[in-house]
Amino acid sequence: MTGFVLVSVILFVTVFAAWLAPFDPLEINVHNRLSSPSAEHWLGTDQLGRDIFSRVLFGGQIALKVALVAISVSMSIGLVLGMMAGFGPRWLDRILVISFDTVRSFPTIMFALAVVALTGPSLNTVIGVIIITSIPVYARVVRTQTRSLRERDFILAERAMGASTARILRDHILPNIAAPLFILASMDVPAVVGMEAGLSFLGLGVSAPTPSWGTILNDGYSYLRNSPWPLIAGGLPLIAVTLGFTFFGESLRDILDPKMRKKDQ
Amino acid sequence: MNPPVLDIHNLSVDYQTELGPLHALRDVSLLVPEGKIIGIVGESGCGKSTLISTIIRLLAANARIVDGKILFKGDDLLGMGVDQMRALRGDEISMVFQDPMTSLNPVLPIGRQMSDVQHRGKASAAERKTRSVMMLERVGIPDPETQLTRYPHHLSGGMRQRVAIAMALMTEPSLLIADEPTTALDATLEVQIIHRLEQLQRDFGCSILFISHHLGVIAELCHEVVVMYAGEVVECGPTREVFLNPRHPYTRKLLECDPARIAARTKDLPVIEGGLPDLVKLPEGCIFRDRCDQSVARCATERPRLSGAGHTVACHAVVCHPVVCNLAEHPE
Amino acid sequence: MSAVLSVSDLHVRYPLHAGITGLTKRRPAYVDVVHGVSLEINRGETVAIVGESGSGKTTLAMAICGLAPVHGGEVRIDGRKLERDRNHRLNPDRKRVALMFQDPVGSLSPRMTIRKILAEPFLIHKVLGKNPQTEALRLLSLVGLGEEIADRYPHQLSGGQARRVGVARALALGPDILIADEPTAGLDVSIQGEVLNLLTGLQQDMGLGIMIITHNLNIVRHVADQMAIMYLGRFLEQGDAQQVFDKARHPYTAALLSANPSHDPDARPNRIELLGEVPSLLQRPKGCEFHTRCPRAETLCKESFPEANQSQAKQVFNCHFPLD
Repeated sequence: MTGFVLVSVILFVTVFAAWLAPFDPLEINVHNRLSSPSAEHWLGTDQLGRDIFSRVLFGGQIALKVALVAISVSMSIGLVLGMMAGFGPRWLDRILVISFDTVRSFPTIMFALAVVALTGPSLNTVIGVIIITSIPVYARVVRTQTRSLRERDFILAERAMGASTARILRDHILPNIAAPLFILASMDVPAVVGMEAGLSFLGLGVSAPTPSWGTILNDGYSYLRNSPWPLIAGGLPLIAVTLGFTFFGESLRDILDPKMRKKDQ
Repeated sequence: MNPPVLDIHNLSVDYQTELGPLHALRDVSLLVPEGKIIGIVGESGCGKSTLISTIIRLLAANARIVDGKILFKGDDLLGMGVDQMRALRGDEISMVFQDPMTSLNPVLPIGRQMSDVQHRGKASAAERKTRSVMMLERVGIPDPETQLTRYPHHLSGGMRQRVAIAMALMTEPSLLIADEPTTALDATLEVQIIHRLEQLQRDFGCSILFISHHLGVIAELCHEVVVMYAGEVVECGPTREVFLNPRHPYTRKLLECDPARIAARTKDLPVIEGGLPDLVKLPEGCIFRDRCDQSVARCATERPRLSGAGHTVACHAVVCHPVVCNLAEHPE
Repeated sequence: MSAVLSVSDLHVRYPLHAGITGLTKRRPAYVDVVHGVSLEINRGETVAIVGESGSGKTTLAMAICGLAPVHGGEVRIDGRKLERDRNHRLNPDRKRVALMFQDPVGSLSPRMTIRKILAEPFLIHKVLGKNPQTEALRLLSLVGLGEEIADRYPHQLSGGQARRVGVARALALGPDILIADEPTAGLDVSIQGEVLNLLTGLQQDMGLGIMIITHNLNIVRHVADQMAIMYLGRFLEQGDAQQVFDKARHPYTAALLSANPSHDPDARPNRIELLGEVPSLLQRPKGCEFHTRCPRAETLCKESFPEANQSQAKQVFNCHFPLD
């Protein structure tokens, strides 16, 4: 319940940031720099006098855009690769698993640095890096689920009837692995948002003056001695997203799982 | 005479469901005397699983014991605290399940598990091992010393079940509850296992509550049998009596359905028409009435109670017939 | 009358995973699960395959359906050889053999309604001129289930209902052969008859050949015309069911028949005790493979494999010292 509420609030607030934000997040007002929270500026102002609250709201747009794009793309690709690995011939499985493990063993930050060195920092770089490092995670889960389903009687029955591999994957495997996949995706949102924030914090993502929770945190960190508020303000939304989506994911799991196993008395 | 090992009086258990309370057990009474093997025959939905769960007090969260008493060697089981119950389980009351993997831990070797079961005694590791080997011999496992180091998945289904039985009997319980222990096994293994059980029961003197829907197994093994239908006990008595002279229409039809009993080859096997009644919205009167071919007027309004001496039956049609001997209303 | 199903000297083997231990020569590279099986089923006939777990009966069924790798021998449906296809490509022969699985609920796709499950065979094989939805309902009524079942999910059905759906699906495309793997396992005695009566009734209407795999000898006696006793992937005895029941020639058959727990509390059955356990398929005994458990085994049995012996019409067994 808490999860649903939090997620709804976050989504609402982010989508309607343009209407809800009291100030233009890029508007500079040096006279009022690093002020504490007040009636006018709910979270205070940063080192250039910009309203932090408005910056947080727009930062949310970036965070969730990254999450949406990165997760949907990596989930889709991971789904296809995972099903191929789980259902296909053993040699294909071996090749794919080794690829997944190789990609996963790269430290994300190092990988991001390498990519940035090639392409320069930008939001798309961040999204790209996250996609590449997330695909193996989804693929692994899909593969395991597919492999365990493969030996089940109802799949054998489909093969006995002459169903094609495509049909089996589409109609019989996919619906049965969708639930864990969506739960995983929902729990992944905080991780992705955190990654974006982290990469932006390091300067590998969005560039100033675009507000991202990561850059807000970075600014806050630099000016910590002057005022703690930018740092707190940058951290709060991350906490909210993490809690909200994690609870949401857990609720999803509770709803979806018992239904699957429901037996009549 | 010692008190009976298990004495169940008027046990009623409900499950809370979205549609209302499901009356899984209604007014169930049965007796397990010392040193006897009592069989419970019943098909799906008769309540045998609920009965066992209630005896060992491991019921689902939405279950409620509405009424009744369970006395274990004179002590009230339902009134016991959690710790007391835990002390009894595995020591005085043991269980064997249909799937031996329910009792066997797949990641521990057999020897270790058998030794763990003996945790209550003060025996040393060597003594426990000796006892484990002895028990494995008693259940007919060849080369028991070697088997102690093996894992459950190395053993065949029949062997696993024997190990489960060995573990259950290791603490010399007063009551062994066996829930469909041979249902998943082939006929040859089934026969071997029930013979072992018979032998072990004679040697150890424990009582066995044996649940099964295989009529043949019950006929061979059990001294007395309790027939359950949709949450009630419908007939009860010495096995020989009940099987040769079934009095309740359900028992009679059930025996008729057993293909083993049908002498002439037929491609039209008998069935019991109809299905189980709704246990949330119970019908009035007798629970079996809709599927019964002998119902009388009384069956629609009044629930029959167990009556008789020795061989008891809950049926109006039977009682109304003058051709039955020695009827006395069973004092409740 | 030519046989609708004809199996000749069928061999099915599975490779054992090599791994590091596979480098040693001790373990064989393959395990023979079906080791030379021949049988024939005619239209309208029921053949029962009887054996303990591990005898290979389910693998035999899979092989006939094209789900197991056939190493040797052949399977013919109505005279036409069944080709094993790769990658599950559509093969018209798939329509001719139907398989009913042991777990009635588990063999139905958990997230599909019964309606969709029954319509699927028509969609897979792109059968023209038939509306899958109508056919689905027709099949339900064919097996005696009401329309309300159509919108339920497999886990909402009782064991008996799920079995019937399994029958319905198996019969969807009008197969010539129906293979039922333990059709009565897990069913209460009071409804076992329903499934079996349904099968024999439909068999008469549709001229089906039925192969029943079971270890329940009680039902074999009633529904089977022919029976075959399987052990370690071979048939030890096969023939007319009534004849085999009355006069089993192979000691294993006799032991199985006597192993039934007796329903009669007064009976003192003369049980033939089998010694030991079923040997592993990886270590097949020499000579007659049953000799390790046979109470009548002699020296000859340990050395040479008994050739097929034909006692009367259609009763064949492999034993050096058969029962009289």
